[in-house]
Amino acid sequence: MKKYINCMKGIIYKELIRFFKQKSRFFSALVRPLLWLFIFSVGFHTTTYNLEINKFSKMDISYEEYIIPGLVGMILLFNGMQSSLIMIFDKEMGSMKILLSSFINRNYLLFCKMFAISIVSTIQVLTFLIIAKIYGIEISIFSIFILIPIIIISSIILNALAIFISSQINQLENFASVMNFVIFPMFFLSSALYPLSKFEDSSIILYYVSILNPFTYIVEFIRYSIYLQLDTKTIIIIVLSLLISLKMAFGGFKSKKIKSKNM
Amino acid sequence: MKENFIEFKNVDFFYKNKKILDDLSFSVKVNSFFVLLGSNGAGKSTIFSLITRLQNLLKGEIIINNYSIKDYSNAFRDVGIVFQESTLDLDLTVKQNLYYYGALKGLDFKETLISIEEELKELELQEFLDVQVRELNGGHRRKVEILRALINKPKILLFDEPTIGLDIKSKYTILNYLRKIVKTRYISVLWITHLFDEIEENDYLVIIKKGKIIEQGIVSDIIDKYQYKNLVNTFNNLVEDK
Repeated sequence: MKKYINCMKGIIYKELIRFFKQKSRFFSALVRPLLWLFIFSVGFHTTTYNLEINKFSKMDISYEEYIIPGLVGMILLFNGMQSSLIMIFDKEMGSMKILLSSFINRNYLLFCKMFAISIVSTIQVLTFLIIAKIYGIEISIFSIFILIPIIIISSIILNALAIFISSQINQLENFASVMNFVIFPMFFLSSALYPLSKFEDSSIILYYVSILNPFTYIVEFIRYSIYLQLDTKTIIIIVLSLLISLKMAFGGFKSKKIKSKNM
Repeated sequence: MKENFIEFKNVDFFYKNKKILDDLSFSVKVNSFFVLLGSNGAGKSTIFSLITRLQNLLKGEIIINNYSIKDYSNAFRDVGIVFQESTLDLDLTVKQNLYYYGALKGLDFKETLISIEEELKELELQEFLDVQVRELNGGHRRKVEILRALINKPKILLFDEPTIGLDIKSKYTILNYLRKIVKTRYISVLWITHLFDEIEENDYLVIIKKGKIIEQGIVSDIIDKYQYKNLVNTFNNLVEDK
């Protein structure tokens, strides 16, 4: 048991050192959602003031408040995908081999990696929420505490997906396609920026695509948690997404999938 | 007491329908400097990928330290690995890299440093512990990787062409150190190379060509057997397509 704890500690230690050494990564991860909050939402606010949200129909919240869960999801999504980029780089440079040739179970090592990245994401999200609170967004300190495990679970789902993607990409140059085909569609085809009812009104196809998008449920999971509510359907989908994404990540790094540059 | 640290038994390997390894069998004995020599494309890196579990073994058997590699948690407990390309994290210091690898071996930070206290001095790396790996030259980076492989006192060290890109002095410093620890400790080295100047007459040599073993034995015995002037001539003659 001790060796597994030491292993987890070592992987978290490395991720945190990398994170704190790459200050630009921290600021860019923070600037992106803050730009959306400070600029985009202000512009949008004027056109959709007092937006009524189907799932919280009794609440009369501003657009800035509405997009907070989506922007938290954005931090998790981009951070997960950035980790995928780092893993592709590690794979290309060879340092991934050290992790994968350990005598400790490979799935456990990958899980440690996902958990370590989720801790980094949590630090970023908490910083963002504190800034948002200072900016005037109504969110209680209690909600922020409640959010921590929710953020970790959501982040693990996205990190697992990112690890699966990194297992399928062998060249760093191909990562740009991930931006176009994974990150942007996942983000825009979700309830991050507007309620799905708006989609339903204008395009039924996009609406159905959005309800099949796991990122929608991650955003909703965060949203419910901010308002200290539970939704069984969302929780079931989150648990299923977690199991499926972990299976995909573990499957992606089975030995036969690891291609050597020298082969 | 066991005789072999590594056993390859009738291993076949295919890559994109091409046979890379053909019924390969060999053993790495305890306390031996075992060299696997072959030209480019002979299958050396495939052998390394199979031993280190980066490729799936589909046919045959690989036994490490009396355990099948399928039982990797036991088989790899006493194995140290140095890959061909540098696998250190450049943004971390030497000490942080060592801590990280120690953790992958299930050790805490203190245990990691204690397990390589002696080797740290022998490899003259104490003064570099807090230096970022990015700032080290190639020779020192390789030494750090060897030091890292020695964490937790392994019985088997696996090297895949580790001297590529190193100057002569660094190369021989590393080779001499490894030969010394093979003699003084209960340890074996599997050294994969295509460079003749890394091989000594007392080493155990396996020559492979197109995934097949074409000769094996003590280097001096192989040279005597074929009556060529040196190992280079012997090798060239053996691998020549007739």
